[in-house]
Amino acid sequence: MAPAISANSPIFSMPSLLAKRTAPVVTGLGVATGFGYGKDSLIEGLFGGRNLFGPLKRPGRQPPYPHAAFIGAEVPEPPDVLSKRVARTAGLAGRVTVAVVQEAWTEARLGELDGKRIGLVVGGSNLQSRELLLAQEDARGRQGVVSPHLGYSFFDTDVCGLVAETFGIRGVTYTVGGASASGAIAVMHAASLVSSGEVDACIAVGALQDLSYFELHALQVMGALGPRDPAMHSCRPFDRMHDGFLFGESAAALVIQRDEASTGQECYGRIAGYAHIADGHRGPDPSLEGEVRAIRAALADADLTPGAIDYINAHGTGTPLGDDTEVAAYREAGLTAAAINATKSILGHGIASAGAVEAAVTLLQMRLGRLHPTRHLNDPIDLDLRWVRDEPLGCHVRHALSLSFGFGGINTALALSAVEREG
Amino acid sequence: MGPDAVFAALLAQIRDVVPELGGHAFTRADSMADLGVNSIERSEVLLLTLDTLGLKAPPREFHGARNIGELSDLLHAKLAG
Repeated sequence: MAPAISANSPIFSMPSLLAKRTAPVVTGLGVATGFGYGKDSLIEGLFGGRNLFGPLKRPGRQPPYPHAAFIGAEVPEPPDVLSKRVARTAGLAGRVTVAVVQEAWTEARLGELDGKRIGLVVGGSNLQSRELLLAQEDARGRQGVVSPHLGYSFFDTDVCGLVAETFGIRGVTYTVGGASASGAIAVMHAASLVSSGEVDACIAVGALQDLSYFELHALQVMGALGPRDPAMHSCRPFDRMHDGFLFGESAAALVIQRDEASTGQECYGRIAGYAHIADGHRGPDPSLEGEVRAIRAALADADLTPGAIDYINAHGTGTPLGDDTEVAAYREAGLTAAAINATKSILGHGIASAGAVEAAVTLLQMRLGRLHPTRHLNDPIDLDLRWVRDEPLGCHVRHALSLSFGFGGINTALALSAVEREG
Repeated sequence: MGPDAVFAALLAQIRDVVPELGGHAFTRADSMADLGVNSIERSEVLLLTLDTLGLKAPPREFHGARNIGELSDLLHAKLAG
């Protein structure tokens, strides 16, 4: 029953100098959402009540055949971090990643470290499908003119290269794919790389998933993407009216360091434990057994009991079967005392980015001592759980769980704890 | 299209691909490699120029050019048929 990857069994099994593991800390955060760039815009958006959702406008997001408009949220144009020469060859996922890494990098003062001791794990796969669709259409229209830059940039690892080149990262870099849990898995890998001593700091990225109308349509006909009523521009996790998720572009970067290797700045919290397990199923259906096993393994990894969890940032996509299964998992795992909210009700579902964005949201709320509302949670599917509904909730969070599940039988749980400094 | 117009079309693509060279006073003797244009960018410049000129030709036919003047001449000769 041991988790496939845990802080106690590093994925890179270097001889550890740490006789007893100290959970790594998060020293920098960078975010991008439909509300804009930076933590301030995110916090304002989470607590401000403004609706982000409307017809998607980016080229390649609406089908070229008769179909109701796809609804969702899109990030603004990224700030100019890259030179024009580089920016013109970089995709949206890469340019947004550079922006969120810059915010986290600056906050964590990574410029003071040796680049060879800094790593990067980018969560997400098939990140640039909308731009590849547009490039294919363009090549057809221009009788086969294809940009030579696409020969390397169609790989998701282009995001790694772009970030490493921009910031001088010379440690390990790679991508990890786990569908909607990709961002969370990136956090776990980054924590493991830091705990094992492979690097002194590692940036975990939940990358922007640049979906085209084609993937959106497939998700819709499969039954996962809402809204079923095109007039409803809302996502309703855990409400009896839930009818699927809405796509919402986002990205996040978390700088993770060993406590003693950090540059001494105030940190957001600890990666206390984590688990990433397969439930042995293909396809989109959730698994109660898998979710419960991931939750229990993460709690064990963090040496926590279910009763110690003050807050859960739910996976909470708003699909009926997904929500029902998640609620059943809370009950079976004994998580009935924790306050629960669903960030996707506000930001939408960023797919690859979601797990990292929600880990960042969890840490920001822990620092604020306040939990954001869950939008449109008017008639909860379970009346006994402690939902944060239409009003924010003041809450001193010592320990939290952030849950992410992915198509293909992927179940993850991250345990995040406040840092209690002595003296 | 005359040789000057072909040369101008080539310069326009170089400036699009490498915006930092927007203020450079190009001469026919300039080499893109010497100006810091990397191999992928040089390929892109050639492909975009061929597209702009409406030329269908394999890029390798132009690889012998030692500078942008010679490249422009090869393009013009190809255009003239």
